[in-house]
Amino acid sequence: MTTQARRSPDAAGLGRRRFLQAGAGFGALTLTGGLAGRALAQTPTLDMWWWGEQELPGLQAYLDKAIAAFDLAQITPMLQDTAVVISQFQTAAAAGNPPDIQYLWNGIYHMESVWLGYLAALSDVMDPGILAASNHGPLSRFDGKVWRMGWYPLPMPWYFNKDLFDRAGLNADAPPATWDGLLAACEALKTAGIEPFGGGVQDGYWAEWYLTHALSQNLDTVGDAVNLFIGDLDFREPRYHQHWVKLAELRDAGFLNKDMASLELYPGIDLCVNGQLGICSSIGTRLPADAKTTNGRIGCMTLPVFGQGKLAGRPVVDMQGLGISAGSEAPDIAARFLEFLNAPEQLASFWEATGWIPAASGFDDSVISDPSVKDLWTRWGKGNNITNITNLMPGQFYEQAAIPTGQNIITAGMSGEEAGELAARVAQEWRDFNPDLVETYRKWAAELSAG
Amino acid sequence: MRRNSPLLPYLFVLPLAGLLTFVFGLSLVRLVEFSFKQVRGIDGPWIGLRNYELVLGQPLFREAVWHNIQLFLVIPVIVVIALVLALLLYERLPGWRIHRTILFLPYVLAIPIIAVVMKQLFQFSGPVNTVLSALSLDFLVLDWIGSADVALWTVMGLILWRETALGVILFLSRLMALDETLIEAARLDGAGWRHRAWYILIPQMRGVIEFFVVISAITMLSAVFAYVYVIGGGRGGPGTATMVIELYIFNALVRTSLPGVAAAVSVMLFLVALILIRALFVLRRREED
Repeated sequence: MTTQARRSPDAAGLGRRRFLQAGAGFGALTLTGGLAGRALAQTPTLDMWWWGEQELPGLQAYLDKAIAAFDLAQITPMLQDTAVVISQFQTAAAAGNPPDIQYLWNGIYHMESVWLGYLAALSDVMDPGILAASNHGPLSRFDGKVWRMGWYPLPMPWYFNKDLFDRAGLNADAPPATWDGLLAACEALKTAGIEPFGGGVQDGYWAEWYLTHALSQNLDTVGDAVNLFIGDLDFREPRYHQHWVKLAELRDAGFLNKDMASLELYPGIDLCVNGQLGICSSIGTRLPADAKTTNGRIGCMTLPVFGQGKLAGRPVVDMQGLGISAGSEAPDIAARFLEFLNAPEQLASFWEATGWIPAASGFDDSVISDPSVKDLWTRWGKGNNITNITNLMPGQFYEQAAIPTGQNIITAGMSGEEAGELAARVAQEWRDFNPDLVETYRKWAAELSAG
Repeated sequence: MRRNSPLLPYLFVLPLAGLLTFVFGLSLVRLVEFSFKQVRGIDGPWIGLRNYELVLGQPLFREAVWHNIQLFLVIPVIVVIALVLALLLYERLPGWRIHRTILFLPYVLAIPIIAVVMKQLFQFSGPVNTVLSALSLDFLVLDWIGSADVALWTVMGLILWRETALGVILFLSRLMALDETLIEAARLDGAGWRHRAWYILIPQMRGVIEFFVVISAITMLSAVFAYVYVIGGGRGGPGTATMVIELYIFNALVRTSLPGVAAAVSVMLFLVALILIRALFVLRRREED
């Protein structure tokens, strides 16, 4: 059979009128399609690089829903790997091709990008009321401007296992509040055959969290932490390494769990949740699941007080956030999207998808039903909290002093004084390696100290 | 150009040489340039040798170099074990096929996979210590990855296990290529396995052994990142007990925002690797002569 023979009789007999009609119809279709395509092309497209699913499962589902509901722009999200959240953004920004919206950790983790000129001031593009209600925290401010919006908070409590406290004859409704009280509680736990205190320090984060709670106890302002790095204060002074002396004290008394050095942070917290460890450092986003696992037998406390500083004994709340690239071609629309995330229905959607509390004040927290989470939110989130001071540490200090000191005290017999010496030396090295940043840090410290 | 022109082979190689020059040469030039700059973002002011001065004066860098040097201790052990295993496999002892597969397996698996498994095994409350305790060998119960005194040795053990497999592969392939008549003649003359190995096989393997030693040296210097990253908790820990040069570079580049410093250390590492490669060529040439 030939090709000709397979053609339909109608097509073969297409008349001139039918041909013209078909042509007109095709033309109209093309025109309509073209206009629709142009309209689609005019819808701005934004890139959003984000992180957080790792610590808050459900965030991706929430974000997908929010992006679908936002009609001013087409947003393409990209989940970043933990190791490259900062470097990937800074490299892209330096190359002139940054995302429009970027996930930003607190403090120095985004402030360096501010100083490099990679971020837009949100106070210039966002509604001031919405921005303030996002509870971005003091470490998002520099040069009188706000550079980051708060997205979700991270209260940082110390867990204690109430069942183990009961077994050791301790009052599970009144955890220790002073250092002597802590030592007595640890002794009671140890006597009862329970490992008293610790977690997992193998990946280093426990050492960072310990500094979060312990270094702040001898500081009067958040800016004092920066003063330690720029050399205006000195880690070799007893007051500024007392926290490491206290850690060595716990080690020498045999209060730290024996596998602490070979366990990572989260498996270490699991020990406390599973009833194998009395007290450990944790993070609020874990509490809903941990409270459920233990039928509410996990309690939250602040690190018992030993220090004399004005920040001692206050609950710590860190804050994750979002910002807009200075290189964004549509900063206003990006700002509208950030505002959109703060709308009450979006805050409710956030809670629904993640089971966790969004940062904005507009969130109706009456929906929190779990008594443990409610208690944490009341005392930490709404309490007289302080920010996480380790967010003020330069990366070099964090890697070469903050983490090694904690690990060396726990695993290698380092003393608190030696830790202070190491910290002072690394702070000096940071100043030598980064002479161009010292003055900027000094300015930041002055702003933070002024409140 | 005539077909027998001496330039013709170079013409064929030219496109690839051009591509390699562009990809690697340009990167190398930029790397050297960065090492003399205080880089912020993707560029910065010229600061001469300051990055080199800072790095060479820093105790942490010297400690990282010392750890790499300590890793060199593994090389003779790897060579001896790989050689013995290859010779045994060559003799086709009973079950040699399954033994060969078992020996090659670690090299087939990716380093992070075996390192993660090893890390689980060697945790203080992990299976290795549990078995040792059950066997009443409590004096061997150590904090393999958590102790600053032991962690680097644990890394060495992991490297030894995996890199030995490469040695066995290389040595065995060389043995397979040897002329069997000489070995058969020695066997007929009554030479035992030890004599055959020492006087006939090993002398003929000298070239491949030297090659493996140089390759292993380069590995210990610049290809142990994955081992220490996993075993050392991603930070060369505990403390700085497993910090090596590669991790130092990674930290400088990614975690401490010091690309200029990372470049300076990379340049130094590159030069040392070049010296080792040069040593390999000298050895080869001497052998050929």
